[in-house]
Amino acid sequence: MSYELVAGFETHIELATKTKIFCGCTTKFGGAPNSHCCPVCIGLPGTLPKLNREVVRYAIRAGLAVHGEIAEISKMDRKNYCYPDLSKAYQISQLYAPLIIGGYVELSNGRKIRLHHIHIEEDAGKLIHQHGDTYVDYNRGGVPLIEIVSEPDIRSIDEAREYVEKLQQVMRYIGISDCKMQEGSMRCDVNISVRPKGSEKLGTRTEIKNMNSINNIAKAMEYEFERQVDLIENGGSVVQETLRYDDATNTTSSMRSKEDAHDYRYFRDPDLVTIHVTKDVVEEIKSTMPELPADKCRRYIDELAIPEKDAQLLTKYRRISEYFDKACEGVKSPKTVSNFIIGQIFRRTETEADKEIFDVAVTPEQLNELVKLLDSGKIRNNLAKSTLEKMLDSGKGALEFISESDMGGLDENALNDLCKQAVEGNPKAVEDYKNGKEKAIKSLVGNVMKNSRGKADPALAESKIKKLIG
Amino acid sequence: MVTREDVENIALLSKLFVPEEELDGLTKSMQEIIDFADTINNAPTDGEDFDDINNLSNVFREDVVVESYDTKEILSNAPEQAEDHFLVRNRE
Repeated sequence: MSYELVAGFETHIELATKTKIFCGCTTKFGGAPNSHCCPVCIGLPGTLPKLNREVVRYAIRAGLAVHGEIAEISKMDRKNYCYPDLSKAYQISQLYAPLIIGGYVELSNGRKIRLHHIHIEEDAGKLIHQHGDTYVDYNRGGVPLIEIVSEPDIRSIDEAREYVEKLQQVMRYIGISDCKMQEGSMRCDVNISVRPKGSEKLGTRTEIKNMNSINNIAKAMEYEFERQVDLIENGGSVVQETLRYDDATNTTSSMRSKEDAHDYRYFRDPDLVTIHVTKDVVEEIKSTMPELPADKCRRYIDELAIPEKDAQLLTKYRRISEYFDKACEGVKSPKTVSNFIIGQIFRRTETEADKEIFDVAVTPEQLNELVKLLDSGKIRNNLAKSTLEKMLDSGKGALEFISESDMGGLDENALNDLCKQAVEGNPKAVEDYKNGKEKAIKSLVGNVMKNSRGKADPALAESKIKKLIG
Repeated sequence: MVTREDVENIALLSKLFVPEEELDGLTKSMQEIIDFADTINNAPTDGEDFDDINNLSNVFREDVVVESYDTKEILSNAPEQAEDHFLVRNRE
């Protein structure tokens, strides 16, 4: 029998606010242990949490970016559990009235992964287990998170991978998080089950935690899919449990047994008042949203005639697309700009990290100037290419390398002279060509190109040379 | 009705050890607490929402960094500490 994978994601994203969700301590990553703390974020009795306005605004941005509905009324709840990463023995979160309802992430195959909701909550402290004891650092405690909860709509590892990548991309675009999985500013828990192909009924699911890269998510899901299918094929059944992924062995192991299945006893947090988001606030935030990557990609393809694959490369990171947008202003052929970026500039921003930062020696305005020279026929492609290399080396503008005499077409007489020179100066090539070596003509044309500093029309030069040789 | 099992379960969730001989007494006490809350729950409210009794909403802080406490001070109430961390001993 063949089986289908069914998965849903719970994705935690740390918001890039300056301060924590309920106090003014910094959210900076790192720092000496317990140095970014105060009585509120270490949960001392008698302290009063006060919600960071920016957290609500960032979460609304996230909601708008994934087409969610912004709840007019939302509330904070307490999720009770006893564990040293949470000194109050409860996490302030949202269950009954989350800030964002619904939404979706659209994949390249056209499928929409529906979202159940997005809520805001506080992060827990960091635990270091050593010699059987636990060392607790509360610097991360109280850092604001959004949790994006999807419906079980994911049907393959590829879809899972793309879902996470799309979320990461869009959340970075709107500037609410750096979404670095290695540093923990984006974390995914995956709920996964299997069922016979064609069946509508959901199987028993397990939840996998502790994956710190998209590759690990893919590997863990692959392993867990096989494990569940094996179990069922051999007459067993899947037990609902929480699993930890170990990337060293590429296996999952049980983290919590069924006996201490959680009962979080959620209830409204009486310390925090209702969040009321008016339509005006939503509209105001909407007006500050950048063009989203999916919309940008579509516009590049439809309006600028950029091939789809190139459009995806240009929109992968916000800075690249902004660079491209600026460099395209008023040019006749955006495709030329795109080719320069994806070709010559990408060769100098090799890693993904480089591409994300996209710190290029040539400004988009300088590239724009170069492409306009090309557009107007003042220079030819070869000269533009070599000039761009010089610009990338030096950070100087195109006009530093292209003189007045390089610009403007080559007049007929000048071209005739150059062709004549080429023929007279290279008797060997002429001889070769006469003896049937077709390629020899190329070296003669090359000579003309060189002496005209790239201004000559190579096809025209070739026909003139052929005439001269007779 | 609060049962002995409820009390055992709550003790487990709270990571508390409750000796067998205290279970009956605690079950009774917990029932009394719940009954007291029920008295309040049964008060006629005409369906009004008492979630925000003072009608407050949107009490926010601005996103401005305030200096954190000194690590020594943060750790000063910790039963045990080591290397600027709170230290939690494994009791199992």
